[in-house]
Amino acid sequence: MIRRLLRRLFGRRLNDELEEELQFHIERRAELNRQEGMAPEEARLSARRQFGNALLIREETRRIHVSIFVDSTLQDIQHAARSLARAPMFTLVAVLSIALGVGATTAVFSVVDLILFRSLPYADDTRLVSVAMTAPVLPRPFLLGTDYLEWKRSQTPFEALTSSSGFRDCDVTESNPVRLRCAQLESTFLPTFGIQPQLGRTFTPEEDRRNAPKVVLISDGLWHSRFGASPAVLDKTISLDGQAQRIIGVLPKNFEMPTLQRADIVVPQALPEEQQVRPNSGRPLEGFARLKPGVTLEQARAALEPLFRESLKWIPPQFVNDVKLKVRSVRDVQVADSRRASWILLASVLAVLLVACANVANLLLARASSREREFAVRAALGAGRGRLIRQTFTESLLLAGTAGVLGCGLGYSLLRLLSAFAPDGIPRLTQAALDVRVLMLALASSVGSGLLVGLVPAFQSAKPETLAGWRTVSGRRTWMRPILVASQIAGSLVLLTSASLLLRSLWNLQAVPIGVRSDNVVTASLVLGAQQYAGPEMQVAFFEQIETRIASVPGVEFSAVADSVAPDPPALTTLLAHVQPDERERRVEGTGGAVSRREVTPRYFAALGIPIISGRAFTEADRVLSSERVVLSESLARFLFPNEDAVNKRIRVARGPDPNGHAVLEVIGVAANVKNSSLTEADLPEMYGVRKHGSNMSGIPLEVRRRVVLIVRSAIRTDVLADIIRSEVASLDTTVPVTIDTMAQKAAHLSDRPRFNALLLTLFASISLELAAIGIYGVVAFLVAQRTQEIGVRMAIGAQKQDIIRLVVGQAARWSLAGILVGLPASLYAGHLLHDLLFQVSQRDPRTFAVAVLLLAVTALIAAFIPSIRATRVDPVIALRRE
Amino acid sequence: MPKQPDSLQGNLEFLVLKTLETDSQHGFGITQYIQTASDGLLRLEEGSLYPALHRMEKVRLIKGEWKVTKNGRRARYYKLTAAGRKRLLEVHEQWETLSKGIGKILRFA
Repeated sequence: MIRRLLRRLFGRRLNDELEEELQFHIERRAELNRQEGMAPEEARLSARRQFGNALLIREETRRIHVSIFVDSTLQDIQHAARSLARAPMFTLVAVLSIALGVGATTAVFSVVDLILFRSLPYADDTRLVSVAMTAPVLPRPFLLGTDYLEWKRSQTPFEALTSSSGFRDCDVTESNPVRLRCAQLESTFLPTFGIQPQLGRTFTPEEDRRNAPKVVLISDGLWHSRFGASPAVLDKTISLDGQAQRIIGVLPKNFEMPTLQRADIVVPQALPEEQQVRPNSGRPLEGFARLKPGVTLEQARAALEPLFRESLKWIPPQFVNDVKLKVRSVRDVQVADSRRASWILLASVLAVLLVACANVANLLLARASSREREFAVRAALGAGRGRLIRQTFTESLLLAGTAGVLGCGLGYSLLRLLSAFAPDGIPRLTQAALDVRVLMLALASSVGSGLLVGLVPAFQSAKPETLAGWRTVSGRRTWMRPILVASQIAGSLVLLTSASLLLRSLWNLQAVPIGVRSDNVVTASLVLGAQQYAGPEMQVAFFEQIETRIASVPGVEFSAVADSVAPDPPALTTLLAHVQPDERERRVEGTGGAVSRREVTPRYFAALGIPIISGRAFTEADRVLSSERVVLSESLARFLFPNEDAVNKRIRVARGPDPNGHAVLEVIGVAANVKNSSLTEADLPEMYGVRKHGSNMSGIPLEVRRRVVLIVRSAIRTDVLADIIRSEVASLDTTVPVTIDTMAQKAAHLSDRPRFNALLLTLFASISLELAAIGIYGVVAFLVAQRTQEIGVRMAIGAQKQDIIRLVVGQAARWSLAGILVGLPASLYAGHLLHDLLFQVSQRDPRTFAVAVLLLAVTALIAAFIPSIRATRVDPVIALRRE
Repeated sequence: MPKQPDSLQGNLEFLVLKTLETDSQHGFGITQYIQTASDGLLRLEEGSLYPALHRMEKVRLIKGEWKVTKNGRRARYYKLTAAGRKRLLEVHEQWETLSKGIGKILRFA
């Protein structure tokens, strides 16, 4: 059947040509016959006769082409398939082992490859670095004003130093309005990164000026979606935030910003020159540079040190110690948080592969021993050694092929699973596709390890005693098996302890109180368009209207409006050093870090269930423009007024451009602490102001003013409530985008990353535990089968059932113990590597280790116990008669 | 029709190699050549040539390619490869030795 199919596949061309060749012969003969005087009909018949049985000849010729190689291979494959089918358990376990190992390895590697190894889409990407200063109060690294210009002039380690002023939202203000992300770049940015537009050109330094005619480059995505990928897009204009801008280029398809943020449009950053030349002012820039060839990061850092020290002169002396110089490779910037997790994933998946390989090797080894007789018989019947090796090889390849297909599917599903469950911020996850090279490599390693041991019997020359069936167990290779089992146990132990440590961390994390009630609370984030709501009056008017509307929805218990909501980080921060008690100086070391500032309406605390510890929350009366009242978080109150009640005290907060300018505020209450950074990090102290009726929001950046969060506590079902909020917003302005979250979702998001890590490692640990159990079961079962006679003898001379069980299980226990002894130090080391990911659990947590060891030991013993029961059923008489 | 000698099939390979020694030829041409050159003494069942040709091509003694005949028809021409030429020499020697030996035995008897 298969053969016929193959022939049909390969033989189409062959058939046609052969037909033509034979036809030519017959026709020539007929022609000749006619020339000799035969009638046409007779000439043709005679030609056919002389030719012989054309059908047979055709068939025979065809077979020559197919049979030589295909036939013997097909025979091997059929034989291999039959022999695998005769041992279904073996086949199933082997295929599953390989498939699991291969699938997991490939999926995980496909993801981490993009993070750790793949080259970035920039020319000579290893020489690209980010250059900036960091300070606790600013979320991003920065360079300021003259510093940047000075550095650019005087730096030595770089071929080029360039900058970006980050992103802003920009609205397309023409037909089909849409909000886009605009990246603001210096004119040298794209050339420094070696990015060539796929169409058009980049902008010149002249176009990167304040009053130059506006030009932009658009992303490949925007080019397709808005301009139908038409080359005529060049020199067209697009209206951004009410200004017509000329399109001069289209970014390449694989364009990405070094910070990996989405950029739809690249615009010149057009620095305000008069501000840039003043020290310590102007827009904070992110610096990027290309190292000169051969210059290392350390050398570059050292070379910049004098410039950095010069720049520190502008920093107020008390903060100097907090400001650091940072030179990092662009890849580091991108993968900062994911790097460690990626390596850990990679290591753990390699451990799974190791366990799978050991499993396959073990299974094939066991199978090989049991087939010593078969091979001896076949050798005796005249099979050449080459043929036997080829047979074994074919069998392994068949296993590998089946497992490869299965592993492919598994890898694909796992990859989908990874993408679906992964938290935000894993770089390039959406681009991840199964990596065929890795698939092949993983497949080759698992099959290769099996093949190595599987081929052993084929290489051995047949011995008469093997043939006769006496003493089929050769003692030579038995030492390999315990080592394989022990290495499986060791690998599994490492995975188990790592997974348990992460699970316990996750458990601890989820037990962390976040300080706000998450039940029945829905938040809605609104962003007003920069064009339609240009003035603060319009914004305030909109927000006050929506506030009243939501508050009057029947069924709403409490509702509040704020510029941001815990546990999200605040939209605004100020330096702790800028917040002082009014009466006396309180020295803060350095900047003292940041203080969160939120502007909230009076019901904020009630809606979120944040307890007021002393004093009172805001009331509507506090919302008059003249009031200067604040509520402090407990941590801030205790810091500013240790051992006394903060209520009714006054604090001084720096305000305005003047370094000594400040406002004096009255503390009216102290609220309990809330989580506002992440679950693991220390929280920022909070300082709450009240949202006033009016537009006096000076000092608050435009970007912040346009955004608010509505906080609604209600017994109404979440989805219904969401619809109500949406329609209330839409009744005021249909163009305002609304993002609805439940507080429970927000709280769960906090532990996304640790949950993801724990989930994966647990998955791997359970796979490897299963594999190890299967491995032990397989080996013990096999040994029991081989030692049937010995067991029979033992029972004949009076061994009890428990003696036999002890004998069999004891052996497995010794191997497992050896594995655990090897695995423990490795696990401790793995725990050490995990250190940063752990939360409130020691990397050497004895309970976690004890549980992992116990789990593994119990699994191993059960796996060994099942076949040992079979050993006790051995009938001595039958066992002995076989001798 | 003269009876085909039993040994002919076995020696077909030799005959084909010999036929192609000087020039490339298609299957029909090879049949004709063997018949004429042996004065009609050797006659094959014509079709049986083709499995032999294909087998020889498979083991690279000859090489087939499609060409156009003088009458403008497409036909598959076979020519000797280097390996084929070598084989022809070997077989030729074997034949000479064999026929010389047999000739001597026949004379002696």
